[in-house]
Amino acid sequence: MGGELFERRAVISGVGQSAIGRQVDRSGFQLTLDAILAAVADAGLTLDDVDGLAMFPGGGKANVPGYANGDLYEIQDALRITTSWRQGIVEGMCLPFYGPAMAVATGQARHVVIWRTVKEGSAARNAGGRPAYGSTNPTAAGPLAWLLPVGALSPVCQIAPYATRYMHEYGVTREQLAWIPVTQRAHAALNPDAVYRSPLTVEDYLASRMISTPICLYDCDVPADGATAIVVSAAETAADLRAPVAIEAMAGVVDGRPSWEQWEDMGRVGYATAAAMWARTDLRPADVDVAEIYDGFAIEAVWWLEAMGFCGPGEAGSFVEGGKRIGLGGELPMNTWGGQLSGGRLHAAFGHTAEAVRQLRGECGERQVAGARVAAVTSVGGYEAGAALLTRMP
Amino acid sequence: MTATVGIPPAVTEETAAFWEAAAEGRLLVERCAGCGAESFPPYGMCRACRSRAVEHVEITGRGHVYSFTVNYQRWMPGLEVPYALVLVEWADHPGVRVFGRLRGCPPEDAAVGMTVEVGFEPGPGGYAVPSFVAVADVGDGIGGTGDGGE
Ligand SMILES: [Zn+2]
Repeated sequence: MGGELFERRAVISGVGQSAIGRQVDRSGFQLTLDAILAAVADAGLTLDDVDGLAMFPGGGKANVPGYANGDLYEIQDALRITTSWRQGIVEGMCLPFYGPAMAVATGQARHVVIWRTVKEGSAARNAGGRPAYGSTNPTAAGPLAWLLPVGALSPVCQIAPYATRYMHEYGVTREQLAWIPVTQRAHAALNPDAVYRSPLTVEDYLASRMISTPICLYDCDVPADGATAIVVSAAETAADLRAPVAIEAMAGVVDGRPSWEQWEDMGRVGYATAAAMWARTDLRPADVDVAEIYDGFAIEAVWWLEAMGFCGPGEAGSFVEGGKRIGLGGELPMNTWGGQLSGGRLHAAFGHTAEAVRQLRGECGERQVAGARVAAVTSVGGYEAGAALLTRMP
Repeated sequence: MTATVGIPPAVTEETAAFWEAAAEGRLLVERCAGCGAESFPPYGMCRACRSRAVEHVEITGRGHVYSFTVNYQRWMPGLEVPYALVLVEWADHPGVRVFGRLRGCPPEDAAVGMTVEVGFEPGPGGYAVPSFVAVADVGDGIGGTGDGGE
């Protein structure tokens, strides 16, 4: 199927990050510049090579506390470049590199930088806690009108009933699910840039405070400050690039009812996306060496394990139990940077993508998965889902 | 009842009838004049046959809990916790699911499949918002096995 797939005409050429922490005392704008400069240098390019800029989300979500991308045009002005392609979106942001890959595959740009900058750690601290989603608006518009008025004030409350239902249907326990944050914390201990690196045990997990049942504190990702930038380049420029990584396949399908409370079963939110992605490659789940799968909540990683076919429906509890399979040295090392649960909520799989690229290049030091050739990356925000396989260049 | 804390809804052409009925304690959903299918939330279009000829119908019967959560986090100042939130469906109203707080029992008694009555309670901004009242008997089993009318 190879040549005709547009994603094969794009490569991920660079990844870069600012300082990352619970609180980083620089503006979002400065963090964004730090990440962009690092990513462009990582690609082996200079700023003058960059002719496309994109950020997630676009301006429409700028009023959410801690969303700190900056203004795309100010960033372009500061970089003193010319762009032939720009994008700032929410809808359709199934994967960070999806839109940029379309741009370079269709010749609209050669080297696109996309970034995501968060200051949600600082925002939560300044608000005396994590602010309610949408609470900075006086009224709840659109789909939020069925959530915020009745007290479903956070994505935690909105996803929690689906976790309840999933655990009810399959008999999955909190003792099993604990192994996701516990294992990822062990990975974070090997990542100097992770937000939380001290050991976490199943006992710590079970004793932690409940946010919205069955989701406890350690099931939730960590609000953080930091920026991640990714450079996507046209495949024909590969000879100019330091260490590009191939996009083997990717897809982003929204099916069912795209709504936090109307989804028939949010536990199956990634199924159509994963099926569409696997239809674009001859690789199979068993070929995946490392999985960087979205963990805004631990339960989302559970659902991705099943959607991607790493285990069967309802089997993720036993798959993760004990942490062996998903740990370093296991059959499917998962979220090797700590994921968003310990590495920090870098959001929308930007952190996951950066780690996948570094793993495929062999740049991960103590947490390196030996000989990693195929990495899975997934992202989900409610019902907006994306899945990809990245591969080491031949 | 004192009003619960939250963010009031933005009322639109599509949702005005719902919120007006809510003020009277009535749960309105859209019903297709052509095929009879019910849809929620209101879009002015039947989700079964895509007809634009929709009217409203009131749901009065008992529903069952598809799933639930008990929220412990104080997301906003003055928010009293814990409280249970339930996703409610009706065996005789396929296509309708409504989110709301659970009343009439301790939050920790919320359960998949439990039977509830439609209710409303004073919510933010002077709006009456959907909530559900636990029915004393145990769940009727509908919905606990994934066959709740879908
Ligand atoms: Zn109809």
